[in-house]
Amino acid sequence: MEPWVVSTSLIFLYLIATIVIGILANRKGTRSMEDFFLYGRQAGFIVLYLTVVATFHSAFAFLGSGGFFFTHGIGFWMAGTWTVLVGAITYTLGTRIWALGKKFGYITPADLVADFYESEAVRIIVALVSVVFTLIYIQVQAQGLGYILSVATGDRISFELASLILLVVAAAYLMVGGLRAVYWTDVIQGIWMYIAVWAGSLVLTYKLFGGPVELWKRLMAERPDLLSLPGPEGFFTPGIWVGMTIALSFGIIFQPHMMIRYFTAASDRTLKVLGATTPIYLMTLFIPAAFVGLGGALILPDLASPDRVFPELLFQYAPPWLTGLILAGATAAAMSTLDSILHSNMTVLTRDVYQRYIARDRSQGHYLAFGRLVVVALLGVGFYLTVSQLDFLVALVTLSGAGALQLMPAVLGVCYPGRRLHTSKGIIAGILTGLAVLYLTRVAFPQPLGIHEALWSLAANFAVTIVVSRFTRPPSEATVERIHGEVERFVYGDNGGA
Amino acid sequence: MKIPRSHFLPRTRNGWTAMIAFLVAMALAQPPIVHGLVNRVEPWILGMPFLFAYLLGAYLVGIAVLIWALRRNV
Repeated sequence: MEPWVVSTSLIFLYLIATIVIGILANRKGTRSMEDFFLYGRQAGFIVLYLTVVATFHSAFAFLGSGGFFFTHGIGFWMAGTWTVLVGAITYTLGTRIWALGKKFGYITPADLVADFYESEAVRIIVALVSVVFTLIYIQVQAQGLGYILSVATGDRISFELASLILLVVAAAYLMVGGLRAVYWTDVIQGIWMYIAVWAGSLVLTYKLFGGPVELWKRLMAERPDLLSLPGPEGFFTPGIWVGMTIALSFGIIFQPHMMIRYFTAASDRTLKVLGATTPIYLMTLFIPAAFVGLGGALILPDLASPDRVFPELLFQYAPPWLTGLILAGATAAAMSTLDSILHSNMTVLTRDVYQRYIARDRSQGHYLAFGRLVVVALLGVGFYLTVSQLDFLVALVTLSGAGALQLMPAVLGVCYPGRRLHTSKGIIAGILTGLAVLYLTRVAFPQPLGIHEALWSLAANFAVTIVVSRFTRPPSEATVERIHGEVERFVYGDNGGA
Repeated sequence: MKIPRSHFLPRTRNGWTAMIAFLVAMALAQPPIVHGLVNRVEPWILGMPFLFAYLLGAYLVGIAVLIWALRRNV
């Protein structure tokens, strides 16, 4: 059987399985908003673990990380830093977000911050930042999916049609089964992509080099420039290293599809165990990516597009069944992120915009129906962005990593009581300043002094937030008492930890 | 409820231990250490170049601190 037939069959089998899971999730679920949008706040450890890791690792981890190792060498092993930091953030901040969500019924990140800062303007800005910077991710994932499927079929299915098929499938199981369907499919996707990356990488490494140790030795002999910092093109400077650590840990956690996952946990203990153990999965997935990328630099040195290194090696050196299995795993990696982003945007637009400002006090079924319409609209927008290849999107994509990071002062101000309070005006001024500085230091004057745009924008954001907050009215004492008091009780109990 | 102290600072011995140990683990995987002292291939460790093995060790220490904190209910 020809390789493309095996690959395509496995991918379509996988897609059928996700639809079946969506239908099963629909039968299991109830018709409430909490169930559809938040899994009824009862996600247990295994389901939550696999949905968090599968969502965190997108098509980038599968394809892009190999490309980074290929081009910039061992420096990309810094990825482990942000994965460990993500665990600590979940452990400390995630549990606080969970506690406040459970106590006050929050569904979206905007609920959390707008309640504390007593500001509808804060709600709108947070919702906008949440949607705009993740909407771009829909396009990124859809492009990755279209690329994977068109490669797997040997270009028998065009890139555009492939993107559309996979977008429709992700939207379909989301509309049928809500977040429950997303979580259940993520369980399969999380397991599949981990096995696929490791299996593909080890098969290639042993076949081409005789094992990882021999790979390292050949690298030392032929490409020693790939084994030290800042790498062959001088990319991994100290400023970039620190900036990427912050942008890809906090920046991803503050994206709505990750924050909403904290609201869905069954207990705070679930989140603590999650925080302590997810870095094991997240970090170790970059080890096989290193073998693929660095090995590819030796075997395919003239490869025009480094992101293609994994599929190119597979097609040339792996058996067809394994290639199919792994490309289906790559599909899983991209779809698990795509469905989560579709879900979070649906939730934010339904909860923070439609329910809040357009149609109050309707039935739960009404909001669920509207949410499904939003998914259809997002599907259309996502497909348009994917095939249109607009120039301005290129700039927006480069901004997206640090975009959600601008919510950091607002969220920390809610979840970490301190002596000084941020104010709504301080938060708004800080976010707007941070976004402006992000644009300047990424697009207009890229990375001044070799420092990553995430650091510039976050520093400006914090500075403006603090200064403006000094001169403007803080949230009312009653609200601060209610929310910070709840955090205090949750973390330290009624006796303040004494 | 009055907040006795900022939540950015731990209030227990275990809390301080976990925070400092984790920050040290993170600092070990950041500049200037990674771009200076440990930016080398030799000595090889278990067949891996030094920088790769060193960073793997730093990450594992970070994870170990989180698991320790979990067991101590920090």
